[in-house]
Amino acid sequence: MLLQHSLPPQRRHACFSTSRQSVNARVSHVLRSTSSTVEAGPAEPKAEKPKKQKGEKQPQQKGGKPAQSASSPEEVRAVRLQKVEELRGQGQEPYAYRFDRTHFTTELQEQFSALENGAHDESGAVVSVAGRVVAKRVMGKLAFLSLRDDKGQIQLYIEKAGLEAQQPGGFDLVKGLVDVGDIVGCTGGLKRTDKGELSVMATGLQVLTKSLQPLPDKWHGLADVEKRYRQRYLDMIMAAEVRDTFRARSKIISCIRRQLEDRGFLEVETPVLESVAGGADARPFRTFHNTLRRDFTLRIATELHLKRLVVGGFERVFELGRIFRNEGVSSRHNPEFTSVEIYQAYADYSDMMALTEDLVRACALAVKGTTQINYQGVDIDFGKPFRRASMAELVKEAAPGLDFEALMAAGREAAAAGGPEAAAAVLTQAKQDAEAVLQAHENKDVRKFISKVRSAPSLGHLLNEMFEALAEGGLQQPTFVTEHPVEISPLAKPHRAKPGVTERFELFIYGREHANAFSELTDAVEQRVRFEEQVARHNRAFEERKQARAAAGEGGEAAEEAEEDYEVAVDYDFIAALEHGLPPTGGLGIGVDRLVMMLTDSPSIRDVIAFPLMK
Amino acid sequence: MTTTEVYKLPEQWSEDLKDENGEPMSKSEFKRRQKANRLAAEKAEKEAAKAAKAAAKPAKEADGPALEDDSTEITDPTAYFENRVKYINAKKAKGVNPYPHKFHVSMSLPDFVAKYGSLEAGQQLTDVTVSVAGRIYSKRSSGSKLVFYDLKGDGAKIQIMADARNSDLDAEGYAQVHNECKRGDIVGVEGFPGKSKKGELSIFPKKFQVLSPCLHMPPSAHFGLKDQETRYRQRYLDLIANGDVRSIFYTRAKIIQFVRRFLDNRGFLEVETPMMNMIPGGAAARPFITHHNDLNMQLYMRIAPELFLKQLVIGGLERVYEIGRQFRNEGIDLTHNPEFTTCEFYQAYADYKDLLDLTEQMISQMVYEIKGSYKITYHPDGPEKPAIEIDFSPPWRRISMVSGLEECLKVKLPADLETEEARLLLVKLCEQHNVNCPAPQTTARLLDKLVGEFLEEQCVNPTFICDHPQLMSPLAKWHRELPNMTERFELFINKREVCNAYTELNDPLKQRELFGDQAKAKSQGDDEAMFVDEVFCTALEYGLPPTGGWGLGVDRMTMLLTDTNNIKEVLLFPAMKPEEQAGAKKSEDA
Repeated sequence: MLLQHSLPPQRRHACFSTSRQSVNARVSHVLRSTSSTVEAGPAEPKAEKPKKQKGEKQPQQKGGKPAQSASSPEEVRAVRLQKVEELRGQGQEPYAYRFDRTHFTTELQEQFSALENGAHDESGAVVSVAGRVVAKRVMGKLAFLSLRDDKGQIQLYIEKAGLEAQQPGGFDLVKGLVDVGDIVGCTGGLKRTDKGELSVMATGLQVLTKSLQPLPDKWHGLADVEKRYRQRYLDMIMAAEVRDTFRARSKIISCIRRQLEDRGFLEVETPVLESVAGGADARPFRTFHNTLRRDFTLRIATELHLKRLVVGGFERVFELGRIFRNEGVSSRHNPEFTSVEIYQAYADYSDMMALTEDLVRACALAVKGTTQINYQGVDIDFGKPFRRASMAELVKEAAPGLDFEALMAAGREAAAAGGPEAAAAVLTQAKQDAEAVLQAHENKDVRKFISKVRSAPSLGHLLNEMFEALAEGGLQQPTFVTEHPVEISPLAKPHRAKPGVTERFELFIYGREHANAFSELTDAVEQRVRFEEQVARHNRAFEERKQARAAAGEGGEAAEEAEEDYEVAVDYDFIAALEHGLPPTGGLGIGVDRLVMMLTDSPSIRDVIAFPLMK
Repeated sequence: MTTTEVYKLPEQWSEDLKDENGEPMSKSEFKRRQKANRLAAEKAEKEAAKAAKAAAKPAKEADGPALEDDSTEITDPTAYFENRVKYINAKKAKGVNPYPHKFHVSMSLPDFVAKYGSLEAGQQLTDVTVSVAGRIYSKRSSGSKLVFYDLKGDGAKIQIMADARNSDLDAEGYAQVHNECKRGDIVGVEGFPGKSKKGELSIFPKKFQVLSPCLHMPPSAHFGLKDQETRYRQRYLDLIANGDVRSIFYTRAKIIQFVRRFLDNRGFLEVETPMMNMIPGGAAARPFITHHNDLNMQLYMRIAPELFLKQLVIGGLERVYEIGRQFRNEGIDLTHNPEFTTCEFYQAYADYKDLLDLTEQMISQMVYEIKGSYKITYHPDGPEKPAIEIDFSPPWRRISMVSGLEECLKVKLPADLETEEARLLLVKLCEQHNVNCPAPQTTARLLDKLVGEFLEEQCVNPTFICDHPQLMSPLAKWHRELPNMTERFELFINKREVCNAYTELNDPLKQRELFGDQAKAKSQGDDEAMFVDEVFCTALEYGLPPTGGWGLGVDRMTMLLTDTNNIKEVLLFPAMKPEEQAGAKKSEDA
């Protein structure tokens, strides 16, 4: 890979320094040596000719000075390895053991903010800073290094005389053996340059870690975006805002934790390795334990274990942790992600709405200092009470002809009067009406839902498909979508007043689901029925697809496996726990990664996961 | 051996247990008998109570039949369950929801106890209205107008003194509500606080409502729930029956909170790194393997977060930590569960000496804050066996590994441990001292066994074993003074490793070389040798600052501070063997 040539002169200098400065075996100064000071003149660069790439023109610098060509990272590495040896030859360990830092760079910037341009600090303070060299300029008997640490950046101002008074040979070290990318420690007093740059006037400088690889020159516009995720450490070195994103992530998580602890919730840890994956509808990862000789699935939710703990008498619990789903990777999905699930005895879904608003608002304030944020160009207001609307209302809003509340009532009446066949007729008619709405829709992504509408097994499923097709994407401002049909909500309690729907909500922001909550189903008998129906329906559909695939396979082309192609099972152990009495309980799950995306204005989940899974 | 005594089942099963005929008794037989004994005893107790009650209460119920209570409970678990299901179905048929959606709790039970615990005996605050909720632990009726319940919630207990005269319901309604409520039910109560004449803190209900019926007979108040298998498999029952279990998990949360606060205060950033990797690095252990369907890719569950955290330090996050789950595909025993929790932190510009001091500070302060003293009592072999005292007062003893071993064994070990001669010497020493080291007998494994036998045994009070040989520590930096050793320490407490830390190896060439040695060991049959992570080696080439790295086993620390000697006690849902066919059908432990 070629280093870039179109850099501002400063940076260019820094980059080229590695290729131009050769390792000079004659340089044998010993840092901090007391005896045998060898002449302190600049080491003669042993003009190691930079290799010219084939067909590559020597770029011309603006100043008319011929520019140096870049070396390949392999060549740079070889040169730097020699420097490692050279440092060792001088009795310098190029991988030091520790360093006593007195200040972070930002602390100095703050402490000496009153220092005027061109002024030296007269207090005589001697400070030590450490960090990575991100730029280097050498001008005769003067050298400048830009040093970056965890918090910020500062300039190291290195005068040959000043440094060598304390550290004979120090200037040659800086010139010849320190490269951009190295970790160094530096000690000295402070001054602000005429141009206003606060600087440490080096009286001591030590290579703490010699880097072997050159830092990339161009990062932001890098065509290979994947490289940013694969080599996150480079991404962090090169882009301060990447580090800020992960600081914000940590702040959000600790804000959630503090809010919950202040409300008396106990943080717990439940197993990742489970016998039955439950609490959600998703394909689990499987693994095998050698000595127990048994299969485990990785959890797809923490719900069922946490509810067992509420049965056990922990009335307020939460778990902040990793969830695993064996699904495709996208800008919104990573196979492992972080959720917080919260359970509160004697609360219901209305209480959970209030808690959700509180948590989201607190996180926004913690990270942004305001509840008015902007995500990907859209202003989002967390300050106002979030809108609440039922799923049926939202579909009706988008398609006035589709009144699911009326349809579901008609379905119940038909079932009561004419039995399952009459009810099926209502469903068939509703599907036709729904399909007509989709057919007429100008957006082809919406029309894609037609096949799902056709195969919807119930009015409840149909409502859900129509909600996803027509309403979900438009919910930009925070909206609690409530009253999900009972068929798609196997763990939620039936609504206390409205038949056919549950006491459930999902929070949508920017068209994405951020939270999911219900008044938990506490009726063990009904839970068993719902689980068994759900499992039967799922496995039946899976079987059908399998047979269809087998049939198609005989004809030659085998159909692709669908995302839902996995078997599910009922967690009877959980039902046994419910049979011992779960108090009325409100439960809430929040997707932490998506919340971090929202509050750091990150377009992809990969921007908020330090090491996303890559192909 | 002759004995005239009636055969008595011991408390615990042991390998050499014999039955009344002197035949060895299997564990399952032991359990069967244990349970039968218990059920028989419970039944006898109940019947005795019933008889006593009948005798004590001559027909004084002029105004109605006595209310049902624990003494009238059905004793057959299956019939009990069926009866309860019948009851809720009957309610549903009548259009009554046996699972109300919401009950407003105005005060938690611990708050109730705190606020009204100082009332005088007999005092009643009739003008105060509070509503509380919890689980019924026992029910005693007195005639047709009065029922006493024990109500527990959130670790606190009060009495419900349900007097018909205070109830908003008429006599019939009152009798129905209280006859329907059983031990184990979750109830909501609204009424006024007070104390009974005997001084029992109580709520006197105006309203009383079952919120969630318990369909199974709960573990008996008297016999509790002792069977370990059931306790771990049905932790909710354990938590209901054994009040002190919940405190273990509060202590666990406190330990984690302490570590988090300690690190946050020192400017560390909490991060999350992947639990699924292409290469399981950072430790030597057998990993779990799984498969990602969509990407058609084999993945390993992480065995340690180390290599990722160091990459973040390279990226410029100079102080990071992660508290999280690790996974190791290894056998289960008193100190091992396939998934467990660690805290690892990395601090740029620090070395292992800094971390020695930091560890001493952190752990001793933690113990002091949680236990109120540097000295704790611990039962290393379980509650029935003798206790020891562990003293966390700093400073702690520090043993340099090889010289410590030389002292114990009265030998001089060769400076270069990598030679075949050195290995053979260790084999000989193991034989001499009866230390068993299963194949492959690599130098690292042999040393580990000897250290386990001779040094770790000395470490009851917190003790650091330091300066491990390089060949045992492929991620640690070579010692600046002791050749062939590393700047590493492990903290042992009660002879068990609790922490592991080192000055991180940050020389990429040396790291590659040591990974190469691990690969060689792996090829020689040591399947616990480390995997080579090329991505990590490349990251090191960009420069890892001098860094101190540290790991703590959270579960083991929790065991020490909760005086438990089995890791299953500190995990809410420990991994268990699949239930045996015979066990699968067993009724609920009641």
